[in-house]
Amino acid sequence: MGAPAAPVGVLLALPQRVGAFLLALATQIGGVTILLGQILRRLNPARIDRHELFRNLNRMGVRSVPIISATAAFTGGIMVVQAAPFVEQFNAKGFIGWAATFTTFRELGPLLIGLIFNGRVGANNTAELGTMQVTDQVDALRALAIDPIAYLVVPRVLAMISMMVVLTILGDAIALGGAMLTADLLLDVDPRIFWASAIERLETWDFFVGLIKSLLFGVMIALMSCYYGLATRGGAPGVGRAVNASVVASAAGVFIADYFSTFVLD
Amino acid sequence: MIRLEDVHLAFGDNTVLDGVSLEVPPACIYALIGPGAAGKSVLFKVVAGLLRPASGKVFVDDEELGPLNEIELARVRKKIGMLFQNYALFDMNVAENIAFPLRRLFDLSEEEIAERVAERLERVALPGTEHRIPQSMSGGQKKRIGVARATIARPPIVLYDEPTAGLDPVTSQKIYDLVQEEQRAQDTTVMVISSDVAGVLTIADRVGMLHEGRLIFDGTTDDAKASTDPAVRQFVHGLTEGPL
Ligand SMILES: Nc1ncnc2c1ncn2[C@@H]1O[C@H](COP(=O)(O)OP(=O)(O)OP(=O)(O)O)[C@@H](O)[C@H]1O
Ligand SMILES: [Mg+2]
Repeated sequence: MGAPAAPVGVLLALPQRVGAFLLALATQIGGVTILLGQILRRLNPARIDRHELFRNLNRMGVRSVPIISATAAFTGGIMVVQAAPFVEQFNAKGFIGWAATFTTFRELGPLLIGLIFNGRVGANNTAELGTMQVTDQVDALRALAIDPIAYLVVPRVLAMISMMVVLTILGDAIALGGAMLTADLLLDVDPRIFWASAIERLETWDFFVGLIKSLLFGVMIALMSCYYGLATRGGAPGVGRAVNASVVASAAGVFIADYFSTFVLD
Repeated sequence: MIRLEDVHLAFGDNTVLDGVSLEVPPACIYALIGPGAAGKSVLFKVVAGLLRPASGKVFVDDEELGPLNEIELARVRKKIGMLFQNYALFDMNVAENIAFPLRRLFDLSEEEIAERVAERLERVALPGTEHRIPQSMSGGQKKRIGVARATIARPPIVLYDEPTAGLDPVTSQKIYDLVQEEQRAQDTTVMVISSDVAGVLTIADRVGMLHEGRLIFDGTTDDAKASTDPAVRQFVHGLTEGPL
């Protein structure tokens, strides 16, 4: 390389990187879409490995209960602690129940639980599928005449989506418990007043908005984590890279889905 | 019967199979040898329909794989037992791993399955290890569990990728004896990849040598030993001097 080549190289580096990034993005969106198509084809007619489905429901859902519960309880409490000065200042004790429930159902519950679910279940799922891919286990399944999409992916995707919704319901309930308790202890808001204000102003739709969001987040996390897992190449380091990419892409997907669904569902 | 006709395959610009044609007649043990990264494992995956060649034809029992979709390929794969170079054992205990093909292909009682698993473990010299987890076992032990899994369903075609890698000479010989006895008893068609050239030639009927994506030798075991091609000679006799 001669000296004059250097500035040109620097000038070209940026568009090249942008181009490479856009290409990679298009590949990934295309890959996820193809995977979605493959999954849908196996759901009609449904060919689901029951044993795998229940195994995944258990380890992805049931085993996530402790961490989801702990986070939800603290989130509910923190929400009230944060609001406390204003509640006192404006003497808004009659509103705290409604405010806490509204934010939890509509936004905080699904979003926080989605992010934790992504970190715990999504990352784990990518690591597992990635390891199976680089150690030839996926090929070994195919060699045994087993369709990896039907056997590995479909049960995981169904388990992740349904567990995301169930855990959101559970997390919502626990977060409200935490909020109620904190309001009682910190602001001296009687639990009956807390509930009364929530029930009076809250609409059923507020609750369902959250559930629809959690469903969308579940779809995002399930698709991304399976896609990145199966696309893993390059041994154990490749698995690390895949997990990283999957967690980032899923989180981005969750925020994008949140942003747009907030508009649409209003 | 396995037949490849002018098979080409590349990963990106890394050409791995560059016009390979070979035929493994029925009831034959075919040893596939060659230096590292020659494309041997890739060739096995092509035979099992796990990788599709860019061009060329692959036949398994007179059926061309090219036009088949995944579901039709699954039917062909049921005839093939495969041992993977890096084991590819599942995250379940030894007995479940070995029984996996049986459960998928046949409807057997639990006693029958347990019996056949125990018989396989006996044959690969690992009796009583049913409840161990493969991840906690040595490389040689995992290889033998892979051999047991590849053969338990008695498929008419078996592909062994390095069945004796990581094994001591005595256990190696036991595995070679197993491969040969079962091939003779059931007239299966067998392909074996092995870096232990001297060992595998003791059981092979035919030999193919792959080098840089090309089959530079294809013939009987005696022809291989007598070959005057410098690369084949060097590889078969383990010489340090030569073109490799
Ligand atoms: N999935 C893959 N993606 C990209 N390249 C691959 C893949 N599998 C194999 N290769 C490349 O193909 C070439 C041949 O690999 P292969 O595993 O067939 O070698 P081999 O003859 O089995 O070698 P060894 O004796 O070391 O096992 C290598 O250069 C390898 O890097
Ligand atoms: Mg190999």
